[in-house]
Amino acid sequence: MGFDRMVKFLYASAALLAFGAQAALPEYRSFPAEGARLLLWVSAERGRAEPELRAAEKLAAQGVAVWSLDPAGAYFLPQLPSSMDAVPVEDVVDWLRAALAGGKTVTVYAVARAAVPVLRAAARLAPVERARLCMLLMYPNLYASAEARDEIEYLDVGRLDGLRARVLQPRRSAATPWLPLQLEYLAGQGAQVSHVILEDLREGFWARETPMDHEIAESRRLDALLLREMESEACR
Amino acid sequence: MQMNVWTKLAALGLALSLQAHGAGLEPRAKLEAPAMRAVDLQGQTRSLADYRGKVVLLNFWATWCPPCRHEMPSMERLRRSMAGRPLEIVAVDSAETPEEVQAYLKTLDLGFPILLDPDGQNTRRWKVYALPTSFLLDGDGRIRYVLKGGAEWDEGEALQAIEALLAEIGQSAGR
Repeated sequence: MGFDRMVKFLYASAALLAFGAQAALPEYRSFPAEGARLLLWVSAERGRAEPELRAAEKLAAQGVAVWSLDPAGAYFLPQLPSSMDAVPVEDVVDWLRAALAGGKTVTVYAVARAAVPVLRAAARLAPVERARLCMLLMYPNLYASAEARDEIEYLDVGRLDGLRARVLQPRRSAATPWLPLQLEYLAGQGAQVSHVILEDLREGFWARETPMDHEIAESRRLDALLLREMESEACR
Repeated sequence: MQMNVWTKLAALGLALSLQAHGAGLEPRAKLEAPAMRAVDLQGQTRSLADYRGKVVLLNFWATWCPPCRHEMPSMERLRRSMAGRPLEIVAVDSAETPEEVQAYLKTLDLGFPILLDPDGQNTRRWKVYALPTSFLLDGDGRIRYVLKGGAEWDEGEALQAIEALLAEIGQSAGR
């Protein structure tokens, strides 16, 4: 066994022992693959949608392993944004560490309010661990309060120094005019921030009740979108 | 007996509270309105000062937003039913191109002005975080109600709130 493999083995064993002691990994679905990348897919508060599973399968077929977490389902929480604030952050920390322990390049993809427990978990990692992560945040909802005519208040997600955070913002969203403020907030928390605007798309375009034709087409290409973002300069 | 009084008071309080918040309208204590300058579909610059002396239903919307589209016909019915009265309906499209707005409006016959806010400047100035969001302004141009989400504007609590603001204009004109 080479030195690198030995180190990886020891790291993984230590991590597994730690998880065994805490027994607090959230329940997730695994789509194994042999490639060098692992995508941690955290669905929105509305739960995991069918197109997300299909995209995970396609990614695995292309060599990207996926761990798919539906936080509302895993913790039997109501499918509401506020439920995401109740997801045990320590469990998510363990989950991130378990992913990092595998030695693959880890990208986290979190949707809407599910960005909150994931960012909070990243804030609790050691700086060296956090720097290994890239986070793709699909229209993250980080509002503590957003009442018309009042200033926006953001939730405290903790310090994110060294974390690469890339916001994926559908153009057709009430949050789009506020994107600069949100990026500023994340940068203020120490994250290395970038963003991409997803033209012609609405929030949750893969699971709309009355989707437009091009949204259906894009939801079938979710795997390609994520692959492109995982391989973007910001995440490489 | 004592319980009865408290029960009645509680019921009255609840009824008053429901009346105030009906249709999701949140009353505001005569809040100063921020500036609004935008061009309409004809390229003419409009500002809120153009409507001083009238009750204004200022609606922020977008073509991609289902509840926005759903409430538009009720706004047009309101406009028609209020013809000749001092009410102006102004719809501000948030952060879309004129082409997107014009394409959508071909499907509707709306008689109220549509203003464009392609860069979202007015949306930000008015601190609108959800669509649709509507403001009811009194004749002095002050914000009196805010509604996040859609409504049937020509009926129920929304109409009552508009009528109440119109009555204020009538009273001040009669003084």
